[in-house]
Amino acid sequence: MEFVQNFPFFSILLSLFSGPLCSVIGGKAARRVNLAVITVVGAMSAAVLSFTICSGEAYVYLMGHFPAPWGNEIRVGVLEALMALFFCVVMFLSMVGGSLERALEIEAEKENLYYVMVNLLLSSLLALIYTNDLFTAYVFVEINTISACGLIMIRQNGRTIEAATRYMIMSLLGSGLLLLGICFLYDLTGHLLMSNIKEQVQILHGTGDYHIPLLVTVSLMSVGIAIKSALYPFHAWLPDAYGYSTLSSAAILSSLVSKGYIFLLVKIFYRVIGFDIVRDSKIVNILFAFGVVGMIMGSVSAIKEGNIRRMIAYSSVAQIGYIYMGFGIGTTAGVIASLYHILSHAATKSLLFVAASGITDASGDSTSFFDLTGAGYRNKLAGVAFTVGSLSMVGFPMFSGFISKLLFAQAAVDSAYYKMLPALIALALSTILNAVYFMKTVIRIYTPVDREEVQRRGFRKVTFVDQKAKSAALVCFIVLNMALGLCSEPVVRLLREGLSLFA
Amino acid sequence: MDAWILLPVILPVLAGVILLLSLAFEKRKNGREQPDREPDEARLRSLHRYVIAVLAVSGVLALAVSFSGEHSVTLFELLKGIPVYFHVDDISRLFAAAISVVWLAVAFYSFVYMKHEGKEQRFYGFYLIVYGVLMALSFSGNLVTMYLFYEVTTLTSMPLVLHNGSREAIMAALKYLFYSMCGAYLGLFGIFFLYKYCDTLTFTAGGTLNLELAQGNVTILLIAVFGMLVGFGAKAGMLPLHAWLPAAHPVAPSPASAVLSGVIAKAGVLAIIRVVFYVVGPDFLRGTWVQTAWMTLTLLTVFMGSMMAFREPVFKKRLAYSTVSQVSYILFGLSVLSPVGMTGALLHVVFHMVIKCALFLTAGIFIFQCGETRVEQFRGIGKQMPKTFWCYTFASLALIGIPPASGFISKWYLAQGALEAGVGVFGIVGPAVLLVSALLTAGYLLPITTSGFFPGGIVKHGKAEEHGTGAAVDRNEQKDDGKAANLEPPLAMLLPLAVLAALAILLGLFPNPLIGFAGKIAASVM
Amino acid sequence: MNFANLANNYEEAVAMLLFVIGFSNLLLQKNLIRKIIGLNIMDTAVYLFLALKGYIAGRKAPIVVDGVQSVKAYVNPIPSGLVLTGIVVSVSVSALMLALTIRLYRRYHTLDLDEITTRLKKEGL
Repeated sequence: MEFVQNFPFFSILLSLFSGPLCSVIGGKAARRVNLAVITVVGAMSAAVLSFTICSGEAYVYLMGHFPAPWGNEIRVGVLEALMALFFCVVMFLSMVGGSLERALEIEAEKENLYYVMVNLLLSSLLALIYTNDLFTAYVFVEINTISACGLIMIRQNGRTIEAATRYMIMSLLGSGLLLLGICFLYDLTGHLLMSNIKEQVQILHGTGDYHIPLLVTVSLMSVGIAIKSALYPFHAWLPDAYGYSTLSSAAILSSLVSKGYIFLLVKIFYRVIGFDIVRDSKIVNILFAFGVVGMIMGSVSAIKEGNIRRMIAYSSVAQIGYIYMGFGIGTTAGVIASLYHILSHAATKSLLFVAASGITDASGDSTSFFDLTGAGYRNKLAGVAFTVGSLSMVGFPMFSGFISKLLFAQAAVDSAYYKMLPALIALALSTILNAVYFMKTVIRIYTPVDREEVQRRGFRKVTFVDQKAKSAALVCFIVLNMALGLCSEPVVRLLREGLSLFA
Repeated sequence: MDAWILLPVILPVLAGVILLLSLAFEKRKNGREQPDREPDEARLRSLHRYVIAVLAVSGVLALAVSFSGEHSVTLFELLKGIPVYFHVDDISRLFAAAISVVWLAVAFYSFVYMKHEGKEQRFYGFYLIVYGVLMALSFSGNLVTMYLFYEVTTLTSMPLVLHNGSREAIMAALKYLFYSMCGAYLGLFGIFFLYKYCDTLTFTAGGTLNLELAQGNVTILLIAVFGMLVGFGAKAGMLPLHAWLPAAHPVAPSPASAVLSGVIAKAGVLAIIRVVFYVVGPDFLRGTWVQTAWMTLTLLTVFMGSMMAFREPVFKKRLAYSTVSQVSYILFGLSVLSPVGMTGALLHVVFHMVIKCALFLTAGIFIFQCGETRVEQFRGIGKQMPKTFWCYTFASLALIGIPPASGFISKWYLAQGALEAGVGVFGIVGPAVLLVSALLTAGYLLPITTSGFFPGGIVKHGKAEEHGTGAAVDRNEQKDDGKAANLEPPLAMLLPLAVLAALAILLGLFPNPLIGFAGKIAASVM
Repeated sequence: MNFANLANNYEEAVAMLLFVIGFSNLLLQKNLIRKIIGLNIMDTAVYLFLALKGYIAGRKAPIVVDGVQSVKAYVNPIPSGLVLTGIVVSVSVSALMLALTIRLYRRYHTLDLDEITTRLKKEGL
């Protein structure tokens, strides 16, 4: 066994134990520890990724000394390593980009607690990505929820506490359903390891026994995760949670936390149940319907919103709809499109959040739409970055959003008529709606205002030098976005390869 | 690999980006104290030299690329089976050459004109970038590459509309952006279908549609193709997505409206040509409801555009409506799906590009010299700037289609094409509409000439600096206080105009090489 | 429908009933404390279900006192382990929820979440 193969386990443990470590050291030291941990984990994930690409197959890593049916396992393939690497990159950039806001919005003596939460979140995300055991997945889902809740409410105001409470309630509903589903599966198959469950499920499916319980189980788990990842009708907590929490929390929550759950869903579909059975069970059709509705309704809510942070948050609802729509198409192409959109949306949405904060910095910290007029001139880099993010969301060629739209549409065109038409119409409508609110904002921030007006309101100019960390993060995000948009072919190939290793 | 064919794309784009970047950095350096410092003469002159040098070099490169045989280059794979691919064929040649000539002429003109608009450096930055992008659009070798640069054209040309930053300009730019983008997305969704049903998205004369695959899915394909026609038609100002043209043109600086109308509207035409004749194939569309609907739409646009132009008192808006109408001539020529019609359409692409640019340049001269924008203000103006007015008159005659000016040739081919294409009732209706529209064209262009040369009284126009817009009419009342001022614009403005106007006539006198070239293209696809 | 099966598996039926009760309380109650109680009922129902599945009548827990007997003598210990893990999770989650509730109550002197939302809107935050 190669030494590299230990890395997933190391990265989970490292981030898990650095959490408590942060609670006993000061804020500044905790910040350094946190960034170092993310960097190290990212580097290890990159090493694992290159290892799995070279070996061309997934491997299983025993946790403890018990072999398959009893022990706990980690399973690592191309897809897992890619996701871990990408999550680390986005998390790192979000943390760097939001450092200024954290200093302002978090009480100084509590700052180290924030890094406890971030480290725990990272470890739970990694565990969700790597684990091969359903119950472990459940435990880390809960850890994920708790730390995400902490991220929301670290900035103390009424809104965030209320949002955190709502978030907890919805999450608990979701994880209750997920847990029940896992228990059903355990009852049906007698296993907790994904690979073993899958064997049994295939046998059950072959004989036709327990057809209905199996169906109930799959739907319980899908609905549970759908609730947790804020699919359309379950999104009430989202705009407040993303709109009022501190910047790095909003960026991390929108681009990573919900994506971690979705990745778990992909694992359940492919590694636990088997995608053929899921497709035959018609549950994908329900996800498809909700996804399509979410694509439209999220955008409609975003158009009506007058607060730029909340607008971006609502746009997340639409984007989650895209991802579920891709699953709902029920083909491998659809799932690959969704996986790509997970990456693309993570890169774009955190870019938008950071850029929006740069814009509001130049507008007297007001998030209201009207005050943003001309902010693109006062903070040039943030203006450009916001434009890039918006164009990517709208699906402009050269940026990552275009590729995911392309993939979605290809997947839709190849599917059955009754799915193709709604999918394409929803894509078109949602694209236009996206264009409406994002272009509206872009034009707004580039509308010139009188110099007197600016001086009277006391808006200040923000330059690259004033906010080095944020600017650097923005530049990196833009590069990441364009890299995904222009060199998508290798990424898509990796996704395809990884998905084939999944089965 | 002929990577060097990308030089005419990369060079102007880079040069433009450098201009914009240096602008941004300079503002940062000394911006706090005196943000909008007026650029001094010497600086301006060096800026002009720079722009001309870049345009000339890349123009020569573009021509060299166009006329040195077949070239193709694959940049990289965007997605599996969808490379960013450039290929130079006859259509590329036609567009690249025509665009280069017009772009250079308008650049010369704008050097003087832009003095009164200000912010030259930003303007030229985008001006150069758009040129590069248009070259890339012309050289695109497959549908996705073309779509990519089509969108980039929209985005980079938007700042030209936005130039003066007024509220109307922003609203117009937004409108332009929305129409073009919505149209482009309609096109994009068509591309998805074509991707499934075509052998390849690489442009191939005569189309690449796989008829076996298409069997049984004809309806959906036709809908998709119709969506693409409407979508890409947005840029060409075809009904129902035409409304951005009359909004965007009056607010843009005149050189910008000249290229928007003359050149960028043709990007829509190019896209439609590529879709219909190089991917879907004309045979698939012939005789279907799509062809009928397309012809109806274009004829409606031709007629409606002329009518609106006829009623419009603001000169630049009138010209904008005229563009709506004239570009649909081209589309009508394409929609009949006959070689002769297509020849006429391609000829009209070139002719209209030249003529409409010339007309917008005269509109710019009126604004620059007298600050006048409305048609009724132009009474008697011809006496004070006869050379300009003669150019205007020649260009108008060419647009109306009076032999031997160029418009006549193209319209002749268009009508011929409609008559012999075997499109039933449209064979009669089409030429009739074209004729009526030509009369309307005469109706909205020539009165300006007559009242400009023969005002029926003494009307004097002052320089723009001396009075505000629309003051010329008041001058009527005033006593004749001596000789009317000579309002002839500086040579740098007049010369490009004269060249374009002369081209408008000369291309009509010696059309054979062009007809041969267009005919060759048309024959190759049908 | 075969109601005989329902009667035979009455324990599981009770667990499901409890789950539904807890779930709907968590979802529908306005009062935060009641919501938390609902949460606990829901979780307990799942643990009851797990524990039921892990028990086979007549067998013992696998605690080796007087030598290892045959495999048939013991029940699988994993479900019990799962229940314990689950309880730990639900305790921590309940604690967090209660802490949040206290925060909200100190600020707004009410436990009604909708009421809090309307007040927040009034505050214009």
